[in-house]
Amino acid sequence: MRFVDVVIRQAHPGPGARPYDTFDAKFHDAERYQRDAHIPWPVLVDDLEGTVHQVYSGLADPTYLIDADGHVAYFSMWTHGPTLNASIDALLSQGGRGVVNGGIDHVVHLLPSMTDGWKGIRRGLPQSFTDLETAAPGMASGIWLGYQLRPVIAPLTLRIDPLPTPAKIALALGAGFIAYRAYRALAD
Amino acid sequence: MQLADTRDVQQAFANLSEKQALDEYNFEHFRTKHLLNDFKLTASNRGILPGELAPDFKLPQVGGGALRLSDLRGAPVLLHFGSYS
Repeated sequence: MRFVDVVIRQAHPGPGARPYDTFDAKFHDAERYQRDAHIPWPVLVDDLEGTVHQVYSGLADPTYLIDADGHVAYFSMWTHGPTLNASIDALLSQGGRGVVNGGIDHVVHLLPSMTDGWKGIRRGLPQSFTDLETAAPGMASGIWLGYQLRPVIAPLTLRIDPLPTPAKIALALGAGFIAYRAYRALAD
Repeated sequence: MQLADTRDVQQAFANLSEKQALDEYNFEHFRTKHLLNDFKLTASNRGILPGELAPDFKLPQVGGGALRLSDLRGAPVLLHFGSYS
């Protein structure tokens, strides 16, 4: 299995993360991207037009699994560790070839961004925060809060293994209980 | 559609519908429309779909040199797109 990262445009621009107007600026950020995240595999830099990114969906944070023959085996439209991990296992178990796990994951996985997205947003402060809060009220502050709660929620939101069934049942029961208590509180 | 084995990303980009212009792609401010566009792209299956040949590209690599996707054939590849911010 080979891993490759491609650095795309600024997602949340601001004073410390200006929209790219030269390739050198984008390359410089790619160097910091690799260094800060301790990425051990190749980090590539897309052109200013986002040619590769736009062809490969233009989404904010997509991941593809490409099989040994160069065909798309799995497309995680909003990168999600557990389903990707399961898809990697499936791909390797069938000799590295063919479509796996239904081929595509459309689910808008926001929990990882709500936990770890602050690392990106803080590079463009303060504009990145005010822009996102204006575009989607509560999202920037929620991402900040999620980052503060990271030690508690990361084992759930940034996990790479699918949740065991008992944990899913416990979470569903917990959510149901909270919803019930909220309903009773409002009804009273 | 049968895709040639040498399908190239430049050719795919030229044929892309609703591609963003340079200043639109490198936007100055994140707006609601960017979030909504991501939902729209998700719903419309934008991207390279399962079973399709991944368009080939060659990009500069941090640390020097360049890497061509097709040079990695023979082993599966995880290809992630990420932003500095």
